[in-house]
Amino acid sequence: MIRPNLTTDQCLKCNICTSACPVASVTDNFLGPKAVGPQAARYRYPHQPPSIPSLTWCSGCGICSLVCPHGVAVAEINIQAKADLVNRGKTYLRDHLISRPELLGRLASPVASLANKSLSSRPTRWLLGKTLAINSSAPLPTFASQSLRNRLRSKCVATPPDPGLSADQTVAFFHGCSSNYYEPELGILAVTILEQLGQNVILPPQKCCGLPLQSNGLLKTARRYAQANISWLAPFARRGIPIVGISTSCTLSLKHDYRIVLGLQNDESNLVSSSTFDFFEFLTHQLAHEIDKLDFKPLIAEAMYHPPCQLRSHGIGFPALTILQRIPGLQLHLSESECCGIAGTYGIKQEKSQVAYDVGKTLFEQARRSEVDFVLSDSETCRWWISKHTGLPVYHPLEIVAKAMDIV
Amino acid sequence: MTEIVVVGAGLTGLIASILAADRGAKVTLVARGRGGLTLSHGCIDVWGRSTPSRALSRLRMNHPYRLAGTGSLRAGLEFLRALDHQADYPFIGNISRNLRLPTALGTIHTTALAPKSLASGDLRDKTPIVIAGVDGFRDFYPEFVAANLHKAGVSIDDALRLPLPLSTVRRDRYAIDIARSLDDSHFLDEVARIWKSRLSGIKRLGLPAILGFANHQFVHEELQERLGLTLFEIPTLPPSIPGLRLERLLHRKAMEMGVFVIEGPKVLGRVDGSTAAPRVSGVVLQTAGGSRTLTADIVLLATGGVMHGGLIFQQDGRVRESVFDLPVIYDEGRKHWTASSPLETQPYANYGLSVNEQLQPLGADGLPIYTNLFCAGGLIAGADRSGEGSRQGIDIATAYRAIEAALG
Repeated sequence: MIRPNLTTDQCLKCNICTSACPVASVTDNFLGPKAVGPQAARYRYPHQPPSIPSLTWCSGCGICSLVCPHGVAVAEINIQAKADLVNRGKTYLRDHLISRPELLGRLASPVASLANKSLSSRPTRWLLGKTLAINSSAPLPTFASQSLRNRLRSKCVATPPDPGLSADQTVAFFHGCSSNYYEPELGILAVTILEQLGQNVILPPQKCCGLPLQSNGLLKTARRYAQANISWLAPFARRGIPIVGISTSCTLSLKHDYRIVLGLQNDESNLVSSSTFDFFEFLTHQLAHEIDKLDFKPLIAEAMYHPPCQLRSHGIGFPALTILQRIPGLQLHLSESECCGIAGTYGIKQEKSQVAYDVGKTLFEQARRSEVDFVLSDSETCRWWISKHTGLPVYHPLEIVAKAMDIV
Repeated sequence: MTEIVVVGAGLTGLIASILAADRGAKVTLVARGRGGLTLSHGCIDVWGRSTPSRALSRLRMNHPYRLAGTGSLRAGLEFLRALDHQADYPFIGNISRNLRLPTALGTIHTTALAPKSLASGDLRDKTPIVIAGVDGFRDFYPEFVAANLHKAGVSIDDALRLPLPLSTVRRDRYAIDIARSLDDSHFLDEVARIWKSRLSGIKRLGLPAILGFANHQFVHEELQERLGLTLFEIPTLPPSIPGLRLERLLHRKAMEMGVFVIEGPKVLGRVDGSTAAPRVSGVVLQTAGGSRTLTADIVLLATGGVMHGGLIFQQDGRVRESVFDLPVIYDEGRKHWTASSPLETQPYANYGLSVNEQLQPLGADGLPIYTNLFCAGGLIAGADRSGEGSRQGIDIATAYRAIEAALG
């Protein structure tokens, strides 16, 4: 059982986390991950409220935990403390809204074109800024008129899986809210790639991973979502069916956050955790043999790859890179930034918008300076945010791989 | 293509990875957290006690330098120098005569190579020195530095404090904050303007190491020119900027050369006994999700010694090697680990693995335990690296030797 708060004793105050923190490096409103986290937590009794308002500046990107050489769960301590702070103060209607992408998707997709038109109009954005403090320059996703589950109805299965279902070469696809409601085309591409590599793809029952709720301090609801996902997915994992996702933040929740941040550590959650793979992690680890046999079509282009902060926390390196590097003609630049700034819903908030932009600034400048044709990134909010601020097209790496596999 | 896994991303692991990639191997570098290098002064100590080139030939046979050979040291240093030169971060110095650099404590640090901005503070150069701190930075006291240097027989003309153009300051400034501010040309302009009048008549000025991070070279040269004097830097408390600069440079170089970097997971050794000869089959990574196996032809341990995670000092008085549980040379019983005074040579400093000239860890029978397992850096027994002032030299020499032995 890993309890983030108990790791504070391992902190030597070396400040490696502070010097790597993307937020502390652009604003002194944030005292830094060490100061608000392990340092402050040592002086708190259990259940004593965190007393440092500066905590709210933490974007939850997780870089601090990643760089800590002593295993201090800095980000996890801070996310928990931030939630505590939120729950003791007033919560904003906005935070409840932006942390429920699934609900928004369900409500809006029947009227998708109307919803998209009004959300992209300036007066609406102005109004959203005024009434809900939603950063009027932050990109909001567009709703698809038909969800991925609707389009792939034949692949949707019930839980527990039918005993007749063969687990061999079967993949349970965790599409997340984004590819279900906003970018179903991406989900279809992912499924097609997996099928071309000989996999039988099924869509198990699932709901929003709950990460946006968690980031906004709404841990109780996040825990409810997590429990639902764990109980729905565990029967597949028990049958030896891997769970594969294309959004690095959703998969991180399944792997890590449910257990460590939300405290749901049991056999079921551990099983879901160890059975979950990032899409490219799955391709490079489990399907390496099939991938090696592929002959990629040349793609003459220059691209910049930005691995999302959430992907870094998986502890698997950047598996998409190894496949992208095999595409003939594709010249890759690697992002020099650890985070693009959006951090899920952080950059959507008006009071955080400048800091979020400043965090991403070096990335935007690098993209412009290197004159790439497009940018690649594995998380949806990063893609929308980077595209907004660079004016460049930003794709999921799997879109490019699909192209090189002659799928699109 | 030979597949090599390097464990540990300190100076040793980074240099070894770059060397291996340079020789055409497929390299995976795995590290848990960032550490030693980012905390270091960013110089290359080879033999601090006396003239390195002369002292090295007189060492015991089982000293890491003797095992790796002075040829490896020279070649490794040349390789590092070429890398740093390419990256426009040149190192000054040689192993025939140490540089004598002032520290933030006012003591004298003898080192073989130092980045240009530090090397300009060489006390063998008799140009008069003024030491300056900056307002709002609590990790550097110019008066204290000057007074202690004076005691050490170095005359310092003056100690003064310089203001920084800051509007509001909401928290303590870390060295990295000021370095990043100076990367910005407007801030740099302003600093040059307000410092100019205060520094007339000064020939050589020592500052804490804050002269830019990403744009260091430019900041250093520009400020020297604008102020019309020689500026040198003194490394401050960790994480020190020169350490961070070198880490960033090597990390990038490794990525650029196609090294697959995995940050985050705990690493355990894997021996599956599938071959007749005693060999390791790779490592197992404990990622955010499940355990992932990484097979390799060769594994290089660069996990470091006592302070860096390579050796685990247990409550029960035993010392263990953290990845493969290899036999460690140490004194049984906790009371034997330390000397009676903290200022004496500590017995634990010499603990580590016994290795042969190929830097393969040896068993009790004096034979390599696994034919494809190598180690380098602080993990090797037989050197009191802080006492000798040999830390980085050993890292580089053994990294070079291990890669040469492993890849031929």
